[in-house]
Amino acid sequence: MAELDDIIHQPLRLRIMAALNALPAAVGLEFSRLKKLTGATDGNLGAHIETLAKAGYVAVDKAFVGKKPQTTVTATAAGRGAFARHVATLQEIIAASAGQH
Amino acid sequence: MISIDPKEAASALSDINEIAHRVRQSTIYNFASLMLIMWGVLVLSGNIASYLWPREGGYIWMALNVVGLAGSFAIGIFESRRTSVHSFDLRMITAFLLFFAFGILWSIGLGHFTPRQLGVFWPTYFMMVYTVVGLWVGLAFVAIGLGITALTLIGYFFVGGWFDLWMAVVNGGGLVVGGLWMRRS
Repeated sequence: MAELDDIIHQPLRLRIMAALNALPAAVGLEFSRLKKLTGATDGNLGAHIETLAKAGYVAVDKAFVGKKPQTTVTATAAGRGAFARHVATLQEIIAASAGQH
Repeated sequence: MISIDPKEAASALSDINEIAHRVRQSTIYNFASLMLIMWGVLVLSGNIASYLWPREGGYIWMALNVVGLAGSFAIGIFESRRTSVHSFDLRMITAFLLFFAFGILWSIGLGHFTPRQLGVFWPTYFMMVYTVVGLWVGLAFVAIGLGITALTLIGYFFVGGWFDLWMAVVNGGGLVVGGLWMRRS
C-alpha cells in the first residue's frame, strides 16, 4: 500500500489542498476566499500555505488589485499529483478494512 | 510513516468531499451574485421608470431585457475567463431563451394580462426557476426566491397605486441585497 503524504495529512493542509484541487488546473483561490472555505485564521492559514509552498505543492502569487494587495494560491502539478496519491491511499485503507470484514 | 485507521481515513475523505462541494457552491454563488446585482439594478430602474412613464412601460421593459441579456452574456464571458469555469455555455443560453420564450408565450401570446399582472408574473416566474435551481445548488437561492415571491404577492394584493415603486424596492432592491448576501455566504 502507498504511504500517506505527511505534508498533506495535517487537517488544515488537507482542506487547503482539497479546495485548490476542486478547481480547474492553473486556477487559484484568493487568500480571503480560502480562509472562508477552510475556516482557518489568518496566521494559521498563512503558516500552512508556507509549508505547502516549501514542499512545492502550491504556488503563491502576490499582486495588487487597485490599491489592495491580493494573495492567490494555486495547486502546482506536483501538488495535484501528491494530493491524488494521498486520496488514493485513503481509499485503499478503507477498501483494505472492508476486505478484512 | 503515518498510520491511520479506516475511520480516520473515512473522516479525511469526507472532509475532502465537503470542501470540494463548498468550492463548487462558492463558484456558483459568485457567478449568480453578479447576475442578481445586475438584474436587480435593471429591475429597480425599470419599475421606477414604469411608475414615472406608465404608457412607455412596454418599451422600457423590452429595452431593459435586451440590456440584461447582453449584460448576462458579458458577465458569463468575464467569469469564465477569470475562473476557467464555463458557467455560460450553449446549454445556459438555450435555458435563457426557453425561459423568455415560455414567459412571452403565456404573458403576451396566450394570456391577456393587465400591466399589474405582468408586473407580478415575470418576477414570480423568475423566482420560481430560481427556487427550483436552489434545491440543487444551495439554500441561498431558495431563500431569495421564496422571499421575493412572497413580497411580490403582498404588493399585488395589498399595495395600491404605489405598486411599481413597491416592486422597485422588493424586487429590484431584493435582488441586489440577495446578490450581496450571496457574495458573503
